[in-house]
Amino acid sequence: MSGATHPLVCRDLSISFGGVKAVQGVSLALPTGKVLALVGPNGAGKTTLFNLITGNLRADAGEATLDDESLIGLKPWQVARRGVARSFQDLRLFTHMTVRENALAATERGSWFWQTGDAKARAARVEAALEATGLSSLAESRAVDLAYAERKFLSMARILAAEARIWLLDEPASGLDLASRIRFAALLRAATARSVTICLIEHNLDVVAELADEIAFLDRGVVLAVGEPQAILRDKALAAIYFGERVA
Amino acid sequence: MLFLQLLLGGLQTGALYALTACGFALIFGATKVFHFAHGASFTLAGYLFLLMWNNGYPAWLGVLAAILVATGFGVAMERFVYRPIQRHEGGFFTVFVAAFGVSLVVQNLVGMWAGRGFVVADSTLSRATEVLPEVFLAPVFWVSLAVAAVLFLALGLFLTRHPAGVALRALAQNSDLIRAYGLSSHRLSLLAFALGSALAAPAAVLTAITTGMNEAVGHHVMLISMAATIVGGVGSLKGAALAGLSLGVAESVVLNFADPQWAEAASFVVLFGFILFRPSGLFGHAVAR
Amino acid sequence: MTAYLANLATLAAIFGILAATLNVAVGYAGIFSVAHAVFFGLGAYAGAQLALLLVPDALLAMLVAALVAGGLSLCLALPALRVRGEYFVAASLGLQMMATTLFTEAKGLTGGMGGLVGIPRPMVLGFEVPTLALALAALVLILLATWLMARGSFGRTLRAIRDAESAAEALGKNINAAKALAVAFACAGAGVAGALFALHMSFVNVESFTLDQSVLVMAMVIVGGTGTLWGPLLGAVLLLSLPAGLSFLPFIPPTEIGAVQQIIYGAAMTLLMIFRPAGLLGDMRTGRKA
Ligand SMILES: Nc1ncnc2c1ncn2[C@@H]1O[C@H](COP(=O)(O)OP(=O)(O)OP(=O)(O)O)[C@@H](O)[C@H]1O
Ligand SMILES: [Mg+2]
Repeated sequence: MSGATHPLVCRDLSISFGGVKAVQGVSLALPTGKVLALVGPNGAGKTTLFNLITGNLRADAGEATLDDESLIGLKPWQVARRGVARSFQDLRLFTHMTVRENALAATERGSWFWQTGDAKARAARVEAALEATGLSSLAESRAVDLAYAERKFLSMARILAAEARIWLLDEPASGLDLASRIRFAALLRAATARSVTICLIEHNLDVVAELADEIAFLDRGVVLAVGEPQAILRDKALAAIYFGERVA
Repeated sequence: MLFLQLLLGGLQTGALYALTACGFALIFGATKVFHFAHGASFTLAGYLFLLMWNNGYPAWLGVLAAILVATGFGVAMERFVYRPIQRHEGGFFTVFVAAFGVSLVVQNLVGMWAGRGFVVADSTLSRATEVLPEVFLAPVFWVSLAVAAVLFLALGLFLTRHPAGVALRALAQNSDLIRAYGLSSHRLSLLAFALGSALAAPAAVLTAITTGMNEAVGHHVMLISMAATIVGGVGSLKGAALAGLSLGVAESVVLNFADPQWAEAASFVVLFGFILFRPSGLFGHAVAR
Repeated sequence: MTAYLANLATLAAIFGILAATLNVAVGYAGIFSVAHAVFFGLGAYAGAQLALLLVPDALLAMLVAALVAGGLSLCLALPALRVRGEYFVAASLGLQMMATTLFTEAKGLTGGMGGLVGIPRPMVLGFEVPTLALALAALVLILLATWLMARGSFGRTLRAIRDAESAAEALGKNINAAKALAVAFACAGAGVAGALFALHMSFVNVESFTLDQSVLVMAMVIVGGTGTLWGPLLGAVLLLSLPAGLSFLPFIPPTEIGAVQQIIYGAAMTLLMIFRPAGLLGDMRTGRKA
């Protein structure tokens, strides 16, 4: 499970906070151009796993590799520049910037006075990202002034504009109404068609069933099962954990 | 013997720093307001005491007035400056600038009204006698230490025994928690300001009868309190008091070997070092971010 | 009278540079420094020493001042990268207090309290030029630079960092580099202002580089409006004309002008923060979360 078929691989990743073992020995591989859904109850360690991959947290043990190169020890911006984009559960938009500036900022990697690369191509990417997320007409509004669903799409627009190969999405579809969810699903399908590899954290099992090519079930920091959506979703024991009817 | 003399002098200054710093730390811990006008409480208290003393009022009345003015000032700041700013979600810098503005106003009003330069309340308490060969001590040394000790004891009891004190400590640890339990955080933050500001008054009175006051003293005291709070570890009153005490001793020692400005600079080297290498301070837990 | 006005205009230009560059740190990068006078001082001493010891060439003096102040801006960038909020303000206060002491005590470099005297008139390419022209030219260039920066990608990066640092980092922005660069730019600009100040006054001492001065410059930025192009300039002109204006009021004794001035700008800072935190020219919607 590495290299060509699975660009991003985690092996035995672990971290604990004080006594809480948030992630324990998690091994996962994201298949190229597929959507892997990460499901599990609140506090299972899903966001923490993202933070370990992106360098926001430092693993106690294990490693994450991108194209067989270790990501451990890299700063978040270095991971991002290797082609991994992430969204945040709490969005973290650039609130006082306009929608267009939010997307534009996502295309600009240079941290100094200048940018390298083709400015026209960047601008085109921004417009395409706004178009795809349905935000073109709001391009000049500030992020703070957007409605809930629009904010969620702006967070997606930043990721689209960033042009990454790997997307780590933390509950991007939560709270969206049906129409928005359809638009969201179309976004992901278009991305996987371009061989973007996606890891999607999602609590709504309908959304998962619709979008996921594979499901990993996480509970208390441990991967309990990985596999075909049908198999996982039909598993009685997992459902019991997920819906809180824990026996043990 | 010189060393002993310096140490004792430093302890006296340090005890007063500890009181003021503890007040600042109490306010910052409980309300998260960086009360940069804390020094103005000190100045107002000291000068009011001086005024009453020089006009022949009894000392206890002067002390009472000093405590009242310091407390009143702190409460007024909370009510009329910090709360309106927080209501419109002003960030910490907005608070800092507003407080700085007020302390400038106080410093210059006091300077215009009372004149610039040092004024001391002449008292028998500050007459030094030789207690050991070449070691001079004035009664005010014992008074300072006793006042600090009694106040710390009282504060400690209040914070651990009294429900409001316990709530203040809880607020310092987790402000969301307190809101969830429905305690009035407004009243608690008024209490924090009242208590914290009151702590500056005894220190100001004792300073007025020993080294004396000048209109800029509040500034110096404020910087020391801030340094002590950070070095001690935000949220830890014990840390702030201990750091205040140490800064007083360090200042007294440095003063003897170098020009006065090095004394203040030394405190800031310590502060700068802590911020760079150990921002959580001596007793702090969470790293400041 | 013209000499008086020219002097005032030169000082306004110099303080305009100071305020505009501090605004880059405070208004765009969210780095709330109260140590700007330190870098003003470094530039002034560097420029003055160059003019005294080597050549009174204004351009060279400004260049050297910018290099010295920009280089030493690391002292400010270091805490800015490690801590934020109140902690950074405290660190910059500490830096300011240490620097004041060093300026007073390093007599060989700064002349201590007595200062550096007899700084020769500035020359450009061998011709003597009025400092007003130099200061105005520098001000225009620096305003142009901040304007270009603010609307370009670097300004966007800084604002992104200010709004959501972790998200900016997750998009591949090297936060530390961007912050350090913003600080270096701001401090180098203060250095240029310092060199101009030294050449203009032909005398400098530590009193111009104390905490009071840092606070005055901060007040200029805040009164005018943080994060705006013209706000800091407006603030500089307003606060500089205050003492001049007060001296025309007959009922204030001349000895108290300094105090009255401080009271006015102290009160102005407080009232603005309560009622209009974005400053006179600031956008009320962005200014709130300063
Ligand atoms: N920085 C941190 N410090 C301490 N504990 C943390 C930290 N981050 C996460 N945790 C703890 O680790 C555990 C896993 O948290 P995580 O946020 O990864 O859960 P999650 O699966 O994303 O949950 P949710 O569905 O609610 O978002 C929780 O118990 C949480 O309290
Ligand atoms: Mg989560």
